Amino acid sequence: MKDRLFRDILPRVSKPVRYIGNEVNMIKKEWDQSHIKMVFAFPDVYEIGMSHIGGKILYGLINETTPHLMERSFAPWPDMEGLMRQENIPLYALESFRPLSDFDVVGFSLQYELSITNVLNMLDLGGIPVKSKERGPQDPIVIAGGPVVFNPEPFTDFFDAFLIGDGEEITVEFLDCLYKHRNLPREELLYLLASEIEGVYVPSLYTVAYREDGTLKEMRPIREGIPARVRKRLVHDLDNSYYPDQPIVPYMDIVHDRAVLEVMRGCQRACRFCHAGMVYRPLREKSVAVVKKQAEAQLKNTGFDEVSLASLSTLDYSGVNELVKHLVETYADKGIGVSLPSLRVDAFSIDLANEVQKVRKTTLTLAPEAGTQRLRDVINKNISEDDLFKAAESAFKSGWMGLKLYFMFGLPTETNEDLDGILDLLNRVKGIGNRYSHRPVQIRASLACFVPKAHTPFQWQSQATIAELDDKRQYMLKHKIKNVKVSFHDSHVSFLEGVLARGDRRLGDIIYLAWQKECKFDGWSEYFKFDTWMEAFANFKIDPAFYTRAREYGELFPWDVIATGASQAYLRLENERAKKGISTPDCRMADCVGCGVCPHFGLAPFHLPNQPVNLPADIMTENIKEEA
Amino acid sequence: MRLRAEYRVGPNLKFLGNLDMMHLLERALRRAEIPYRLTEGFNPHIKLSMGTVLPVGLWGENEYFDLELDEMAPQDFKNRINVVLPPDMQIKQCIAVPMQAASLMKTINTAQYDFILKPGQNAEYLVTSLLDCDKILVQSRGKNKQLLKDLRPGLYDMQVEPGDGFEVLAVMVSVNEPLNIRFDELLAVFAENGLKSENLLDFFRRGNYIREESKYYSPLEKV
Repeated sequence: MKDRLFRDILPRVSKPVRYIGNEVNMIKKEWDQSHIKMVFAFPDVYEIGMSHIGGKILYGLINETTPHLMERSFAPWPDMEGLMRQENIPLYALESFRPLSDFDVVGFSLQYELSITNVLNMLDLGGIPVKSKERGPQDPIVIAGGPVVFNPEPFTDFFDAFLIGDGEEITVEFLDCLYKHRNLPREELLYLLASEIEGVYVPSLYTVAYREDGTLKEMRPIREGIPARVRKRLVHDLDNSYYPDQPIVPYMDIVHDRAVLEVMRGCQRACRFCHAGMVYRPLREKSVAVVKKQAEAQLKNTGFDEVSLASLSTLDYSGVNELVKHLVETYADKGIGVSLPSLRVDAFSIDLANEVQKVRKTTLTLAPEAGTQRLRDVINKNISEDDLFKAAESAFKSGWMGLKLYFMFGLPTETNEDLDGILDLLNRVKGIGNRYSHRPVQIRASLACFVPKAHTPFQWQSQATIAELDDKRQYMLKHKIKNVKVSFHDSHVSFLEGVLARGDRRLGDIIYLAWQKECKFDGWSEYFKFDTWMEAFANFKIDPAFYTRAREYGELFPWDVIATGASQAYLRLENERAKKGISTPDCRMADCVGCGVCPHFGLAPFHLPNQPVNLPADIMTENIKEEA
Repeated sequence: MRLRAEYRVGPNLKFLGNLDMMHLLERALRRAEIPYRLTEGFNPHIKLSMGTVLPVGLWGENEYFDLELDEMAPQDFKNRINVVLPPDMQIKQCIAVPMQAASLMKTINTAQYDFILKPGQNAEYLVTSLLDCDKILVQSRGKNKQLLKDLRPGLYDMQVEPGDGFEVLAVMVSVNEPLNIRFDELLAVFAENGLKSENLLDFFRRGNYIREESKYYSPLEKV
């Protein structure tokens, strides 16, 4: 098949390097000698999938440390898909060029709700029945992990099992168990996996009932020994958990074309809109010594010219200063640079950015998220105007020529005043820039539509409608500022994202129909077909707005079957504090705010030394803990 | 010192673009801890110059690059980097060249493309009929796509060599300035003259040469 690809197919497609495999550091294990054969499937193109850290970790972990094997497959771009269908070439794994249907397990990484149609497409191209209930004894077990599966319900029709939480904790156990019981019939096997391994959610083992108003009435396991709530898995000690020393070096440019070092996992800033901040709690740091060693190994084995420190908020890493200095000192004269993916809005961040970027100072990116202090307090983005202006001043003073600012719009309690606040901030940041620069500075603002997500304090909030968001956009566009470019995310895409983010099992039919009507690459504006999706909803007489509505306390949610460790009482309290516009401190710098995660997993709370901040009186941690 | 290397790009890497090849080489240089030199300035990069750009879709038997580095025996360089390069990209030989030697880009003016044909394509006839033409006009595939290009002055030689179950049509053409003949332009000419694509088994670039007075030298021979 490889010969045919190289001779007849790949010369006719765009970016053929996506499909050739065989990269430096690729691991191709002996098929016949391996226990379970799993393919890691990423429902987007190669250059995005290969940039994902989780995939690199699992690939190395399974191939280097277990008797199982893991190969890789990515979504083919539509030109390649067309040729594959026309020439009857199944979707294959890049290591062995075997079709997906040859594997025992196909594991998808779900990073984004809208990639679900690509999952269906990849299964279909790989010769595997798209729906779980149509798969037989010969078909692979199809599973999924990643942030999206913290609400797996809209996707239950297509997966046999979901693996919840940190993948390196659970995947090996899953494959071991599968191998041990490989001769059992499919149904029994799934039952065993769900009952024996914490974090495995097998949706076919639960029954779901709805009320007349469409809300969830009840959801419970149908067999003995299956947990009513599936708790996520958690790596306790990042220092001693697997991290790849020799990740694959792609031939083509990928999105993050560099050695990537994870310095910590989780974030305790407690921004109330942030899904990752809630589901990846608590914060776990790697020690500086371990990161140094991993940097050395990765650079030596890959030859990358850049090393990046990754996490949800790298500037909050307690060793960031020491580590950055070390990396710059050790590698700068070899022409190897350091990059920080996300900056915090303060002057310290800018100083550190200057440290690593002594070179071309093009654009810095900061995320104030909202335009007024009131609204930043509502969403608990704990930065002040002062922080932002100081950051801007520090950046322009040291020679940066442009600043990119991220905001959200459509946030709870937002009014036109808050939108004016964004324009006002942009104007003043531009003013600061022009004081320090001879040429006019470039200010860009990117406005994302707020999407309430499951497991966050805003899970009860309504999502602004497409019409409301468009009005807000029009309002802001009326006040153009010279040399400031404002761009807006597509409200239609965000609407569908919101529907799926808080959706339930009934959405399976709609997803299936949308895929049949050729929806794919929905996250790519050139392929997103909103009208087709709406036709699919109409076909099943389901109103999508049902899923983006405000919800009552006490309503049973589809994602309640998954436990993140954070208590409902904590989320509710945070939602109430949001309504009152009161912020909550980062619990690393204050006393425990009682989210419940640390005690739940038997971990000691992580505090930074010497930074006592008093907790507000209404946070009664003890009460919350008891309720949890 | 400056080092000139001759390398092979095998069929597995034929879809890599020139930038991809460069990254692959640069990363290998770092993995092998070669004492490469960096450019001065704010954005330092390795002083590596790819003498030949292998078009996407083509593999090549003899490609060339120049590299500036601290003193190192060429044989050591070859041994060290070949260990970290993929099997489909290997240095075949390398020599030290004077720092002021003319660049590969400036001196290479000829390339040989080999087309592997199924037997019975009447390749001999194709060769004679093309070499007999005064003009071979083809729509340019290069930057100016409107241009009607005459390939004949740059078509130096064509030969048919027998193989085991196939025939090789070897074509020697001018590249770079003043006339750059691309392999896909040759394919278009062959197609116009009746060669069907299903009878074309493979094609690659056999080598890059410096042509002087109808003689061909490799960039290692003529520095």
